[in-house]
Amino acid sequence: MSVTINTKINGQSISASADASTSLLDFLRDTLEMKGSKLCCNTGECGACTVIYNGKPINSCVTMAADANGAEIITIEGLADGDKLHPVQQAFIDTGAVQCGYCTPGYIMSVKALLDRTTKPTAADIEEAVSGNICRCTGYNKIVDAIHLAAQKLQVR
Amino acid sequence: MQYYEPKSIDEALSLLAKHGAEAKVIAGGTDVMVDIKYKEEPACLINIKKLPGLSGIQENGGSLRIGPLATIRELETNAVLRDKLPVLWEASHQFASLQVRNTATIGGNICRASPSGETLAPLLVLEASAKCAFSEGERKQPFLSFFEGPGKSVLGAKGLLTEIDVPYPSAGSKGVYLKHAVRGAMDIAMVGVAILMTPDAGKSNIQDVRIGLGAVAPTPVRAPKTEALLRGKPLTAALLKEAGTLAATEASPIDDQRSSAENRRWIVEALTRRGLEQTWKAATGKEVGQ
Repeated sequence: MSVTINTKINGQSISASADASTSLLDFLRDTLEMKGSKLCCNTGECGACTVIYNGKPINSCVTMAADANGAEIITIEGLADGDKLHPVQQAFIDTGAVQCGYCTPGYIMSVKALLDRTTKPTAADIEEAVSGNICRCTGYNKIVDAIHLAAQKLQVR
Repeated sequence: MQYYEPKSIDEALSLLAKHGAEAKVIAGGTDVMVDIKYKEEPACLINIKKLPGLSGIQENGGSLRIGPLATIRELETNAVLRDKLPVLWEASHQFASLQVRNTATIGGNICRASPSGETLAPLLVLEASAKCAFSEGERKQPFLSFFEGPGKSVLGAKGLLTEIDVPYPSAGSKGVYLKHAVRGAMDIAMVGVAILMTPDAGKSNIQDVRIGLGAVAPTPVRAPKTEALLRGKPLTAALLKEAGTLAATEASPIDDQRSSAENRRWIVEALTRRGLEQTWKAATGKEVGQ
């Protein structure tokens, strides 16, 4: 059974249909052709598919596309301003927090949500914010460096 | 697959009455979406995520009323819950990841009726109750008699959980929730132990103690023999040892990919001892007697 989904993604109103059993991740990637959010574990355990749903980071792979109806969603594609990267994206590059890069969009969305809540995160805040994201290259120290750098840049702005 | 978004509890109940066992209720989706992908797509999916009247957390005299659609993150960030129900707060705090907590609901955790459901052992020791709605009417059901087996509860195929009522524990009581898992975040508990202890007026004996065990039986369970052993006594090293050993016999764990049954019994013993020691110290201000 197909459902019509009226939603706002990265500030843009979108209306599209999907099967009721479709996940938000499959809706983004396959229906809307937005491939930035990554499909990895597909069970809500690795965080590669993280998007911001009504201000909160969630796993889009275990969220129904139908629940996007009436919601505001931000994906990795919504962060850069034209050619200018978002401070969190730039911080990941500047600190070398990207190895294979597959987990990176999910991490960046978790970190953006964190820094939307506070630009002075404690070590515990950081650990909590990215505890649902897995990096199989295990570049965790650089990721934490990136979060500190992004926080500093956002404080200055 | 048929798909419905009922606008009222009555509408949801009549959908359940009509579709019964063919229907699956979905709210947050963190469990059901995985089932849809990897197990079986239900013939009918009833999405209650936006059903009015089932969300929010409110004080209600001597208890906290939790809407089943309240997310685990809402529980974790509720100041009253953290203050009055630290055992439930701790379980919410240790629940999966931030992404999952932002989506998963307490009602889903309960209705899933998984023995390892993080909030269940705490609800048992807090002696919380469920409001269950059926098309024939509504009834209140203590969680002590709510769970019937893995994935099974008194709700059956046609009931809907509409409220969770959690009474505040008596003044002076102290609780803990201890979880044993390999990975800090995300992992499902190998064993979860919830303990709530109330000392007597002189803070010299255990007046009441409730011990809840998760992931070690077909449902979350209490450890009534261990509770009876401890009641009315001061906590000594010998009693602590005896209580741990007895609690392990009250568990009936299985072997699975997360742990062997034998290992689970060892962990029940260790966590029971640890939890009793912690709650005793916090409730009485005393060390465990020799």
